[in-house]
Amino acid sequence: MADALERITNLVALLMETRSPLTHDQIIHELDGQYPAGDAAQRGAFERDKALLREIGVPLESEVLGGNDAGRTAYRIDRGRYELADLQLAPDEKAALQLAVAAARLADAQFGLLKLGGDRSSAPVVVANIPDLPALPAIREASAARAEVGFGYHGSPRRLHPFALLLRERYWYVIGIDLDRDEVRTYRVDRMEGDLTVGEPGAFERPVDFDPRATFPSDPKMLGEEPAARAEVLVDEPRAAAIALELGEAEVLSRRADGSIVVEVPCANIDAFRSWLFGIGEHAEVLAPPEVRSDVVAWLQAMVGAQ
Amino acid sequence: MTVRRGPRPTSDRLRRLLVMLPWLMERGEVTVEEMCHRFELSEAELVKDLELAAMCGLPPFVDEMVDVFIDEGRVYAGVPRLFTRPLRLTAPEGFALLAAARVAMQLPGADGGGALARALQKLAAVLGDDAVVMETSQPPAAAMVVDAARRNERLHITYWSPAADRRTERDITPRRVFFDSGYWYVIADDHLSGEERTFRIDRIEHAALTGLIDEPREVDVPHGDTWFADDELPSAILRVPTGGGWVAERYPTRSVEPDGDGWRIEVTVASERWLRDLLLRLGAEARVVEPAEWVHLGTSAARQLLSRYAERP
Repeated sequence: MADALERITNLVALLMETRSPLTHDQIIHELDGQYPAGDAAQRGAFERDKALLREIGVPLESEVLGGNDAGRTAYRIDRGRYELADLQLAPDEKAALQLAVAAARLADAQFGLLKLGGDRSSAPVVVANIPDLPALPAIREASAARAEVGFGYHGSPRRLHPFALLLRERYWYVIGIDLDRDEVRTYRVDRMEGDLTVGEPGAFERPVDFDPRATFPSDPKMLGEEPAARAEVLVDEPRAAAIALELGEAEVLSRRADGSIVVEVPCANIDAFRSWLFGIGEHAEVLAPPEVRSDVVAWLQAMVGAQ
Repeated sequence: MTVRRGPRPTSDRLRRLLVMLPWLMERGEVTVEEMCHRFELSEAELVKDLELAAMCGLPPFVDEMVDVFIDEGRVYAGVPRLFTRPLRLTAPEGFALLAAARVAMQLPGADGGGALARALQKLAAVLGDDAVVMETSQPPAAAMVVDAARRNERLHITYWSPAADRRTERDITPRRVFFDSGYWYVIADDHLSGEERTFRIDRIEHAALTGLIDEPREVDVPHGDTWFADDELPSAILRVPTGGGWVAERYPTRSVEPDGDGWRIEVTVASERWLRDLLLRLGAEARVVEPAEWVHLGTSAARQLLSRYAERP
């Protein structure tokens, strides 16, 4: 019996060369002696080979025959769909892509680059760790093909026309029209549940000027009923310079003699606001408005009281 | 070269072979060494797979054998009609290439020369409109830090150190810059401690070039899944309510278990200050289960902050 790699390579060659699709029996006959003896073992090995080809992306096509062979399944590989088109990348384009791939350090990008004829670059000075999630490639393909996707979220099924994927801060979001709510919705990809289902291509059109970044504020502190709501926060000297850098000079309302500053910060989302505030620990104090100040005090009192 | 253990799965070998063959056909002749490097294989692995490939092809459907032989450290290949083009990009490869190109366009010091944008356009021809948008906002000091890292030039920085809760002045030699989970970091030789340290770039309040150039030095950048998950750091077991599940999404954990109507999470503790701030954010419904020294950390932090609010009612 041959090495499985040899058998499968021959299988690919056979199915690419054949003019008409071949049935299981014809394939076993052509690859004489390469499949294990015995009907069950043969079937098992052939099923594994098919699964392996699909796993690595070989477009294996199957059809159910009519006529004398009615009911039998036959297989072939469409060479036009198998082969990667030559992208005609210019040397500088290839070099730029190589650098990008080296910087992003995604194994699949590295391998895709090999297919495009690119080389490996030595370690660049700047690199990015991009969060990788199993569902991302399929969502991107669905989005490019304008196909509907289905998934579970917080325990209920969702149907979405995916317009785009957005990586913001540390999370991947998919943004599109939620078909049951008939409005643009945003979902965290890492929180999707169950298997992703993908519908037929060409199911929708994406608005030409659609910008996923504009669909929800990048600052979680603004995610609330009144996005314009602001609080005044006193920041002590040790953290003043860093907070002024983070927020920008325009948000600094006043500078005090002791080096502390008063800044204006969005507080539409009180949880996000508190989270930001406590990130500055004992060096920050909410001055106004009174209801935000009392919210923080009540939060702290609950902590002390709970003990 | 990547060191693998155990037998290589057939899928991995075939996937590689279907890229290796067209590349080899185009080259005609290449050294074993170059091929090993390019395809990340040991010489034994490469020879084994090429010898197998040389036995492939079968009449009458395929009248040309894959014609490959190895001699004196060189690989020679003939030109069959099959396997002249690599297998199309898979969905994960397509996604990863686009993601890499998109993120590279936003890196500090990225060459906006347009070559990458042109490459992306050509990729879209086979992958379709990409629909991938990345946001990697850069702190003000990032460009200078990258610039210094490229030249191994020392920087004088003002840095807020969270563990010590104070600002320090120090000289650092930036080596590598990386983006992870929403933040930019620089790995540098820290001339204050005499050690290699990792700094968050948004905590650099001020940076100035010194003109001092140090010897180049290779440093490794941690991958996302290993970053910060340092075994030598202490850990704490927290009990958080259902709504506190974000802790496990955001920070490195050693274990996460459902616990009644909430979670029991063991988190890696980078510094006591970090844990204290985390407890303040989690509020009254969360508590430290162990170690004992931190059981009252949240309460005492809340009490301390409250006293500040009491002074100015």
